[in-house]
Amino acid sequence: MKISILTSPSLINLDLKSLTKEQVFKELAEMLLVDKRISDAKGFIGDLKIRESLGSTGIGLGIAIPHAKSSFVDSPSLVFGRSMNGIEFESLDGEPAKLFFMIAMPESGSNMHLKALALLSRSLIHENFRNRLYKAKTNEDVIKILESIDSID
Amino acid sequence: MIKIVAVTACPTGIAHTYMAAEMLEKAAKKLNVKIIVETNGAIGVENRLKQKDIEESIAVIIAADARVEMSRFNGKPLIEVGVSQAIKNPTKLIQDALSNLYPIYKNEN
Repeated sequence: MKISILTSPSLINLDLKSLTKEQVFKELAEMLLVDKRISDAKGFIGDLKIRESLGSTGIGLGIAIPHAKSSFVDSPSLVFGRSMNGIEFESLDGEPAKLFFMIAMPESGSNMHLKALALLSRSLIHENFRNRLYKAKTNEDVIKILESIDSID
Repeated sequence: MIKIVAVTACPTGIAHTYMAAEMLEKAAKKLNVKIIVETNGAIGVENRLKQKDIEESIAVIIAADARVEMSRFNGKPLIEVGVSQAIKNPTKLIQDALSNLYPIYKNEN
C-alpha cells in the first residue's frame, strides 16, 4: 500500500494562512474540492465537525488530524498543511497545532487505505518523523517523507 | 520481563486508535516493560490479545472511546480510560500498572 496515492503535491500546503481552527478546516477542505476529491466542502466540513465533537483531533505534539468518513468524499484522500506559527486547535496538550493531516474517507473506505492511515498515525508519534516534516521545503519533499512510511510495511 | 496488555479503540477507528497504541508501546519501551496492544479500529481487530498474554500480564489498560470485548479480562487489575488519555499520558498509565494501582475487573455479564 502506498500512502502517497492518497495525496499529491497539490494536496500539500507548507504555509497555511489560517489563524483559527475554523479557517484551517476551510483552507484544507478547499484544496480537496479544487482537486475534485470531495463534492462539497461545507458538507464535508460538517462531517469533520461531527467527529471533532467526540473529542478534538488535535492530539498534541503539534499535530492535528481532522478526519471523517463522509458521503461528500469522492476518493480517499490525505491533505497536509503546515503552519510554523501554530494554530489553536483545542489540542489535548493545550499547545497550538502546526502539522495538519486532514483525512477524507468515503463511507466505504477500503482496508488498504485504512492501513496506510494507521501507519501514518503511528509515525506521527515519533519526533524524528515530525522533524522531517518541519524541515520539508517543497511539497515534493513531503511526498518523499510520506513515501518513506510505505517502506516500513 | 513484566508484561502488560492493552486495547485501544476510537470512534472512527482511523487515527487515534493507532496513535494511542504507538504511544503506549513507546512509553513501555522506556520503562523496560513489555506491552502488547490490541487495536480495535475501522480495519477491525488487529493484534488480538492471546489468552496466554492476558494471563501472564500484571495489568490491563483499556484506552477506548468505543466498545471493547471485556469479559476476557475478568479478574485482572484493569483501568479503563478514554483513548486520548493514552496519547496524552501513556507513561503514567504504565507506571500506575507497575505500582499495582488498578482495581480488579469484574465482568457483570
